[in-house]
Amino acid sequence: MNRYFVSALAVLAGCAGSEAPRREGRKILRVAYEREIDLLNPFTSQNLVDISFSMIEGLVTTNERNEYIAVLAKEIPTEANGLVVRYPDGSYRMTWPLQENVRWHDGVAFTSEDVCFTWRFVAGPKSMTYNREQYLGIQTCEMPDEHTVVFTWDGAYAYYAGLFEGILPRHVFMKPDGRTEMTVDEIVNYEPYNRGQRTVGTGPFKFAEWKTGEYIRVVRNPDYWRGREFPAIDEIVWAFIPDNNTRLLALKSGRYDWGRIQPTQVSVVLDLKSSDVHLIDANSVMHFDLAKRTELGRRLFDDVRVRRAIFHAIDRASVAGKLMEGAVKVAEGPINPNSPYHNANVTTYPYDLAQSRRLLEEAGWAMGPGGVRQKDSQRFSFVMLNRAGTTDRILLAQVIQAGLKAVGIEVIFETLESAAWTQRWRRGQWEAMVSAWFLPADPGITGLYACQGANNMTGFCDPALDQILERSDQALSFEARMPLLHQAQAELAEQARMLPLYQNVTPEVVGKRVRGYRGSGTNFGSFWNLWQWTLEEQGG
Amino acid sequence: MGSYVARRLLQMGPLMVGISMVVFALIQAAPGGPEAVLLSSGRFVDPSVVEAYRVKLGVDQPVPVQYVRWAKTALTGDLGVSYSSARPVVHMIAERLPATVELMGSAFLLASLLAATIGFASALRPHSWIDLVGAGASFLGIAMPVFWLGLLLQLVFAVQLGWLPVSGTHTVGTSSVRDHLAHLALPTVVLASRYVASWSRYFRASLISALQSDYVRTARAQGLREGRVVFVHAVRNALAPVVSVMALGLADLVSGAVVTETVFAWPGIGRLFVQGMFARDYPVLMGILLMGSLSVIAFNLVADVVYGLLDPRIRYD
Repeated sequence: MNRYFVSALAVLAGCAGSEAPRREGRKILRVAYEREIDLLNPFTSQNLVDISFSMIEGLVTTNERNEYIAVLAKEIPTEANGLVVRYPDGSYRMTWPLQENVRWHDGVAFTSEDVCFTWRFVAGPKSMTYNREQYLGIQTCEMPDEHTVVFTWDGAYAYYAGLFEGILPRHVFMKPDGRTEMTVDEIVNYEPYNRGQRTVGTGPFKFAEWKTGEYIRVVRNPDYWRGREFPAIDEIVWAFIPDNNTRLLALKSGRYDWGRIQPTQVSVVLDLKSSDVHLIDANSVMHFDLAKRTELGRRLFDDVRVRRAIFHAIDRASVAGKLMEGAVKVAEGPINPNSPYHNANVTTYPYDLAQSRRLLEEAGWAMGPGGVRQKDSQRFSFVMLNRAGTTDRILLAQVIQAGLKAVGIEVIFETLESAAWTQRWRRGQWEAMVSAWFLPADPGITGLYACQGANNMTGFCDPALDQILERSDQALSFEARMPLLHQAQAELAEQARMLPLYQNVTPEVVGKRVRGYRGSGTNFGSFWNLWQWTLEEQGG
Repeated sequence: MGSYVARRLLQMGPLMVGISMVVFALIQAAPGGPEAVLLSSGRFVDPSVVEAYRVKLGVDQPVPVQYVRWAKTALTGDLGVSYSSARPVVHMIAERLPATVELMGSAFLLASLLAATIGFASALRPHSWIDLVGAGASFLGIAMPVFWLGLLLQLVFAVQLGWLPVSGTHTVGTSSVRDHLAHLALPTVVLASRYVASWSRYFRASLISALQSDYVRTARAQGLREGRVVFVHAVRNALAPVVSVMALGLADLVSGAVVTETVFAWPGIGRLFVQGMFARDYPVLMGILLMGSLSVIAFNLVADVVYGLLDPRIRYD
């Protein structure tokens, strides 16, 4: 029977070769994409980024060097180029000159009205945009002409250059009378834009088709504003393959030109004939967090000597070299080492069990029964919260557990599915976890470490650090901001607030026929320069 | 029979209300809420946005209030709007249903044929090498995790041999039937393996039991040909219990195969359910679970009816 079974499969497979079938004469980029997207509005989608950048452009994006670069803006306003002016009352006037001769995919001209419309939408209370608060410092949006936008800010905000990564087409969101704009709520729920029928951008590719659960297809925009020679690719198919193993096999089969894989899968694809693996330094640090919002957390982790002792007991070099198979580098701070804001001269915590034990003894934690330390009849035992499915983090947690056991600290695991994990994290009902954030190119870390930081769920609070962070957020020039962020990183390390484990990498498998790819590790992703990509072979 | 079917249909109403209450309570009991999706991408999110999101979706309200609100619209045939895609749940399910029905249908057909063949051959020659191989294969099929078998077949037939595609329903831009069948082959085999393993054992046991019964001995004593004895007398009776098991398998036709659809990136109901679960997309989960419950009840009824048709001794009052 087996013979017949195999033969039957062979017959079925008659049309399928080892290479992807290609339509005659068309250059098609096939992407094995790790998520299925929810909707196409770049401000309300939770997972659109890469696909969005093929169709929708913003004033700025980020390149492979972690820098903001202008896209629909001619240049980014700064004090140095005279486009940022401080008023005596402390407010700022920022002038954005816009690209001319840009048209939306439906032929309508892109103008300053679209930018101001986008601002009104994002700042609206019901926009649900994840970083809406960052737009609230803008007081007015003026349009001196069709290609100039002037924002008045109520103060200095260092992150201003990273906003407006997408622009919405105002004409699409007009009510039937043609004169009234839709309300924010109506825009959020406007299905023709969310689902593709009227999703127009200014980007190199136009929306073509969305087969729910399967793929999104975009086709070349023949009127792209950078010139008719761009883009050089006719079509991109984003196939949704969320399962990590299936995606790996799909890439190995040679049918796809691009796909992200897990760091622990890198060795499996190193010998592929059709693709190369690029290890992209992600703007993200895998780190070990301790928290003291619970009574137990306060008892255990309030003493800085204890935190330092814990950090000395974790063998990060082994984690990077062995566990992650050398695909990552040990990190020493929350800011990407490739960023000019990174401070390399901070207190570090090398693996040193003797030092760890000494610090614990100093802090009054003596070895107790069962090899677990105790102090005032409190055992040094806590729960580490793991998120199910994050294999790399759970492996890390095991290494940490083993390291701490060696110095007399007991770690118990509690593994929760993602939504449950997030709820516990937000409520501060945890003592320890391995975590990572994907940060924008902007090096601001206030949200993570300030006492009232939106994402500081640890319960640690240092008013002196708050002052430094606040000043760094108001410094508009690199020269003013850099020393403040260096100081903040030094303070964080000294206080052992969190232990950076390693700099995350995102392995991206890219077909050898792809040219122009320049992978980026920011939260804007690697498709920022799609208009420059080409496919080497004819017949795509 | 007619009044029995009508009574069973009438009972479905209160049963579905009860199920919907239990399912709603269970979904809400799972920790975390739909706001988790805002935070899952690992980027900063303003807490005010998270709270506004909860209010907008209405999940800040007490669970009974949420249930009544949902039930009111569900009674009109509107299963609500998905939290994550802002689209009507009915549309989303309708989009995914054909892919699931196709995959489950092909797996059902393949499994029926293979299970009948293996079960039949094993029953006619119990304890022979055919039976032993059949039993071994069945136990292997039952014990082997579906995701593992899927990955194994992908590795062999898609990566090593290059005969079949890894995932999806068709190569984008092509519409040939052969291309589609090539995509359908592996998930069908994987999904069918689950059914073949158990159905063939049921069929074997049932047929052996029938072949040892008095009426078969009587038929043979009357001098009937062996083929007639087996196919007309034994098989028909042996089918009755197997049909009940298979009918429950039919209910999966609309509820999808979560693991297989995920491994093969098959755009069916099973994958939609997984997405809904991780996003705590309550309306989507409710829609799919209710549809699944309805199909289980309906196919149970079908099984009972078919049972009666196969075995004239069974009468429904």
